[in-house]
Amino acid sequence: MSDDAKSIARGLQKRDPDLLDRLIEQYQYRLFRYLVYITGNKERAEDFFQETWIRVLERGHQYDGKSKFEAWLFAIARHLVIDWQRSKKAQSLDSLTDPEQENPLQFGNEKEPSPLHQVLSHETQENVQASLSQIPAIYREVLVLRFQEELQIEEMAGVLSVPLSTVKSRLYRGLEALRGVLQGGAA
Amino acid sequence: MSDQHHARAKQLIAQERVEGISQAERDWLGTHLQECTNCATHAQETEQALRSLHTAAIPLPAGLASRTQFRVQLRLQEMREREPKRRALWAACAVSWVFGIASAPYVWRLFQWFGERTGVPKVVWQLGFGLWWTIPALFVLIVLLMEKVRQGGEPDWLRQSK
Repeated sequence: MSDDAKSIARGLQKRDPDLLDRLIEQYQYRLFRYLVYITGNKERAEDFFQETWIRVLERGHQYDGKSKFEAWLFAIARHLVIDWQRSKKAQSLDSLTDPEQENPLQFGNEKEPSPLHQVLSHETQENVQASLSQIPAIYREVLVLRFQEELQIEEMAGVLSVPLSTVKSRLYRGLEALRGVLQGGAA
Repeated sequence: MSDQHHARAKQLIAQERVEGISQAERDWLGTHLQECTNCATHAQETEQALRSLHTAAIPLPAGLASRTQFRVQLRLQEMREREPKRRALWAACAVSWVFGIASAPYVWRLFQWFGERTGVPKVVWQLGFGLWWTIPALFVLIVLLMEKVRQGGEPDWLRQSK
């Protein structure tokens, strides 16, 4: 892993306040965006954002710089959200802990042309977010980690604490769900 | 062109973005997309959907970073204030343990003398000695348990990912 990750690990071990300030600045957007996508709520994401950094301070000594810092950061944020969901006992359909449904992935009927390409050209960012909010959180999350945060599948498996095959299956389903909701928005 | 070809093309379109495809598969897909408008549209839509995801912006709440920095600094200060107390506690444990080990022969004799004077059965004063000697260990155990309870255990997910 890079020298940067190693120096972050050293700084966190020492609880370097300047390093923490710098990391909060540096990762604020990515962490907040990730939290918004997995919680579906900006106010809640803000609370989790602060809690995540408190955890980083308290558990910083556990980061050894062998993996990307952001993967570790997202894992902390994710599990705070899961703990909160568990404490609420909210087994909602949008839960991140919902079991994977192992139905075979269905591709759309190729004979039915979709108006997606027309819509996307007019799609505002708000519409994209509204569409994303219709995707189950477990799929939304992998899409964000893969295509926004550009994490590798192995890194995602670490963040999500699931096997590689599960990450891949969620990604395929997520991709199909994303296409689905965008097509639905167009209808 | 069979339905199987279209299904394979769509699968490869997704696979290319998720985990990558081989050069042979890429060549096959490229050829198929040139011949099949529907699959080409599917590929284009997938690409556009991902691009829109990639560029979707979420406005940051005002002062989020500074408020967080403030909270983190407060917590850091609190932790630093607590650190000397914890160190003193561990030092006290260590000293009491060392003292316990060093004084064990004398305490044994003291218990023996007391046992003989009061006439209690040998096993009772020996048990008393054993309990007295395990006090520092019990103390450490209690401290450790309290720490564990305070932190709510050590969740697996906080450990490094592979």
